[in-house]
Amino acid sequence: MTAAAFGLELRLRARSFVLAGLGLMAVAAITGALFPAFGESLGKVDLPEGVGDLLGGGDFASIAGWLDTEIASVYGPLVVAGSAIAAAAATIAGEEERRILALVLAHPVARTRLLLAKGAAIALLVAALGVACWLGLLVSVALAGGGIGAGKLAALALHLAFLGLAFGALALALGGVTGRRAVAAGGSAAVAVAMYLVNGLAPVVADWLQYLTFFHYYEGNEPLRDGVDPGHLAVLAAVTAALLAVAAAVFRDRDVRG
Amino acid sequence: MPAAVRTEGLTKDYGSGRGVFELDLEVRDGEILGFLGPNGAGKSTTMRMLLGLARPTAGRAEVLGRDVLSARERVGYLAGDFELYEQLTGAAVLAYFARLRGDVPKARIGELAERFGADLHRPVRELSTGNRQKLGLIQAFMGEPELLILDEPIAGLDPLVQRRFHDLLGEVRAQGRTVLLSSHTLSEVDRVADRVAVLRAGRLAVVDTLEHLRAIAVRRWEIEFTGPPPDPGRFRGIPGVLSAERNGEHVTVAFEGDADAVLKAAAESEVRELRVRDDDLEQVFLRLYEDGPA
Repeated sequence: MTAAAFGLELRLRARSFVLAGLGLMAVAAITGALFPAFGESLGKVDLPEGVGDLLGGGDFASIAGWLDTEIASVYGPLVVAGSAIAAAAATIAGEEERRILALVLAHPVARTRLLLAKGAAIALLVAALGVACWLGLLVSVALAGGGIGAGKLAALALHLAFLGLAFGALALALGGVTGRRAVAAGGSAAVAVAMYLVNGLAPVVADWLQYLTFFHYYEGNEPLRDGVDPGHLAVLAAVTAALLAVAAAVFRDRDVRG
Repeated sequence: MPAAVRTEGLTKDYGSGRGVFELDLEVRDGEILGFLGPNGAGKSTTMRMLLGLARPTAGRAEVLGRDVLSARERVGYLAGDFELYEQLTGAAVLAYFARLRGDVPKARIGELAERFGADLHRPVRELSTGNRQKLGLIQAFMGEPELLILDEPIAGLDPLVQRRFHDLLGEVRAQGRTVLLSSHTLSEVDRVADRVAVLRAGRLAVVDTLEHLRAIAVRRWEIEFTGPPPDPGRFRGIPGVLSAERNGEHVTVAFEGDADAVLKAAAESEVRELRVRDDDLEQVFLRLYEDGPA
């Protein structure tokens, strides 16, 4: 039963993840190709404190700074977290709203296992998106003329995937608790935007605020320069696990609309 | 007598009078029980509690001698209002449900699809309501469940498919399996049910055999005459007649009990047509409701 739910979820969501992956790879490659022209002429842009942090530093002089600004800070999280949120909101809440879920749950299935199987399928797709991002970054750096090792690029992709998992788990939890797709997707997106702003503005407001956002653990230490931060990944993993636990606990016992 | 379904004081209170209240219902092993009531009477809510989709506010339900969740492996369910995965074909949807169930022979799906004339190779989004309903029926029947819980199963089916569905119900009964089937019209369960349970505003109004209910049910005939319609007073004196009105070209007679005297009175004039009005249940069981539980 778990394998069936896992397989179906992969099948239902694969298409949008393939498109997202191709888009991510294309944008990464184009960004890399543009670096020789843009990076060298822009150099280091002097942005006011806060604004610079929001945009990922504004350091265009190095390929690491360029990719950090263009991919790591905005486009990467947007695509990965966005895909994870959309898929996780569609799976339980979406099926419930479309009146599929009652028919599914009338079969001899355990709700917790169903939710976790579907979540695992989405996690696999998010991981695949991370791999696609890594491949895109490899091409990107090659086109830019080198400058970052494959390991650092993999670190960014890994951090990005963990960020996606945390936001996916948030959407799954909101959907599992409320059964409403709009709440799951909209709520998670709103939280993501709020966290993004708080993380960027924390240095000018209050530093401790950034510890409350997923983004701090995603790129508080820049993966492109510093590599993998196991502590930060552990925090994102723990948040993901906690959100899944909440989703499962509430979903197991609540009424499902028919 | 062993019961496939037994509820005691089963209650789901949604507030402001909506829900199901103190339901003591028994579906006997091997019978087809028609579960009747107007829309909103609580039929679907009751069924959903029998599948563990909704949790009772109070009371308890036992299905096939077990708790509702563990009974699911031996229960087939058709929801009253459902959708399927739009992008998948009928075959893929049914294969998924078969895997969730665990023990459905592939040949059984093909056999049911053939009986209902279901197209399994087109994506669900391209299917009409009736064809989606066929997929719903197939998934409910394919596991050969001991108990079928069917919420408004006939909705959207064309008459030919309805007949095949009724044939299938007959076979299910012959095999000693049990069916709980809901409807908001009497005519839908008329041919198939052994007994009916009538739910009204969340409470059980009556459980009885169809024969008995038919005898006390109010029926309504529309009689059209070749000439000008006769004085409806002709019908009013007949025992069992509740009302007789002239409406333009025809006379409408509402009565209970035997039809014989009404028919003979009508035949005193030349009858062009006689229509048995398929009234909704609220009308049919009007008196029953007024009198309260029998």
